[in-house]
Amino acid sequence: MKYLNEVWSSRELLFNLVSREVRGKYKRTIFGQLWSLVNPLALMLIYTFVFGLIFRSNPPPGNPSGLDVFPLWLLCGLLPWTFFSAVVSTSAGSLIANAGLIQKVSFSRIVLPLSTVGSSAYNWAFEMAVLLIAISIAGGFVLPWIPLLIVAMVLLAVFAAGIGLLFSIFTVYFRDTQYLLGILLQFWIYLTPIIYPISLVSNESAKHGGLLGTPVTLLGIYDLNPMVHFVDIFRALVYDNRWPDPVEWLICLIWALAALGLGMLVFRKNERNLAEAL
Amino acid sequence: MSDIAVSVDHVTKSFRMYHERNQSLKSAIMRRRRAVYEDFLALKDVSFDVPAGSTFGLIGSNGSGKSTLLKCLANIYHPNQGSITHFGKIAAMLEVGSGFHHELSGRENIFLNGSILGMSRKEVTRKFDEIVSFSGVEQFIDQPVKNYSSGMYVRLGFAVAINVEPDILVVDEVLAVGDQEFQDKCYQKFRDFKAAGRTVILVSHSMETVQSMCDHAAWLSHGEVKAVGTAEPTIKSYIDSLHHDAD
Repeated sequence: MKYLNEVWSSRELLFNLVSREVRGKYKRTIFGQLWSLVNPLALMLIYTFVFGLIFRSNPPPGNPSGLDVFPLWLLCGLLPWTFFSAVVSTSAGSLIANAGLIQKVSFSRIVLPLSTVGSSAYNWAFEMAVLLIAISIAGGFVLPWIPLLIVAMVLLAVFAAGIGLLFSIFTVYFRDTQYLLGILLQFWIYLTPIIYPISLVSNESAKHGGLLGTPVTLLGIYDLNPMVHFVDIFRALVYDNRWPDPVEWLICLIWALAALGLGMLVFRKNERNLAEAL
Repeated sequence: MSDIAVSVDHVTKSFRMYHERNQSLKSAIMRRRRAVYEDFLALKDVSFDVPAGSTFGLIGSNGSGKSTLLKCLANIYHPNQGSITHFGKIAAMLEVGSGFHHELSGRENIFLNGSILGMSRKEVTRKFDEIVSFSGVEQFIDQPVKNYSSGMYVRLGFAVAINVEPDILVVDEVLAVGDQEFQDKCYQKFRDFKAAGRTVILVSHSMETVQSMCDHAAWLSHGEVKAVGTAEPTIKSYIDSLHHDAD
């Protein structure tokens, strides 16, 4: 509790660091903030071409929204993912990048990884706003779902913050982490139903039944990935325009709180030694 | 205890000197054993009190533990044993301009740096004019700091740091920068500090500086306190030891 208090009292610093990131990032570029849209758009083009046109991973049309546009369906999962992966990879390097500061000034170190959540969230909110406009134009009715969408975004941000805190500490002690993390995130995106519908996995799982004579199914293992549930919520809200399954909310909430709790615990334990370890 | 600003109580600080360190996963997994290290004692059982309202100098040769002690005082390192108690708000100036973002303007950096040093936005706004005029970069305040000369950069950093207005200020040899005029301004600021009843702890290699600024001093040698007390005799015994070594 005392620690939470300390973190809370550094909120102004956190805000300033976030705005340092946001304002410094696209300085001296002609397109400025628009660059943050380019990366997801490029990914969208690639995946739409490969998985939408060549592999024909036909996702079911949005129910009840009736949308049937692969790129929009894709972005509903892809944008949360790119946010998550940006947070985890930048916060993993945040302590090393600010080593000079840590060794010279005493302040609540946790604001460094947390500020990456803020700056990525800023970009993400911008991207989501564009997506919502595109979906509205395509015929979806997203407006009433925006409050719930914000709740879901906060949950994912909390989850990402927790994972980011863990990796920021690992990276200080094991510099390999930053390279390993890139590979891990690649596996992770393909293990999440972002570019293919989850029905492909559940069909395959139903065919095999329990693995090796146990009641554990393929889908059961697949469901252990928290991002599966986050993506499910985002798709339900934005693409289908319906209430997500309450169980999914609960799973996401538990994952988010567990990740943040563990992340803060580990961070707090190692925080005092950072100046020496860096 | 109002006459003591900082109490350093039996502080010991050791660092691990690694002979073989598992800093990559490969070495951690392949070698399957703990890193091999020995402890290096940078501070050995250091104790002294800093009187409130004094200007306190830390002197000693290179590698005597001054900077380690300073970092312990600044709450950046944490002693392995012993404790440091301070009465009042403490702020450290170990490096000026840390945390400046090169692409941002001087104005934005003042707010950023101020909040890193623990000032609230309101406080910075209140002291903004004072900071700018002290640093002498009025003309360039809306330019990105990467275009500043190194002198301007340091002056701006110093101006922010000095305006934190702590009860106890811990200063490393940051004053070896800037031109004569700015240095004089800084020393004047320290005198104002003292006049306001605040405490300054400073590390310097320049005995002249220590002699003219400090009323108390501690002499560190190889991590141990050799002498502590009023400035003059402490400085004298330090200088004597240097001459003694030289003979």
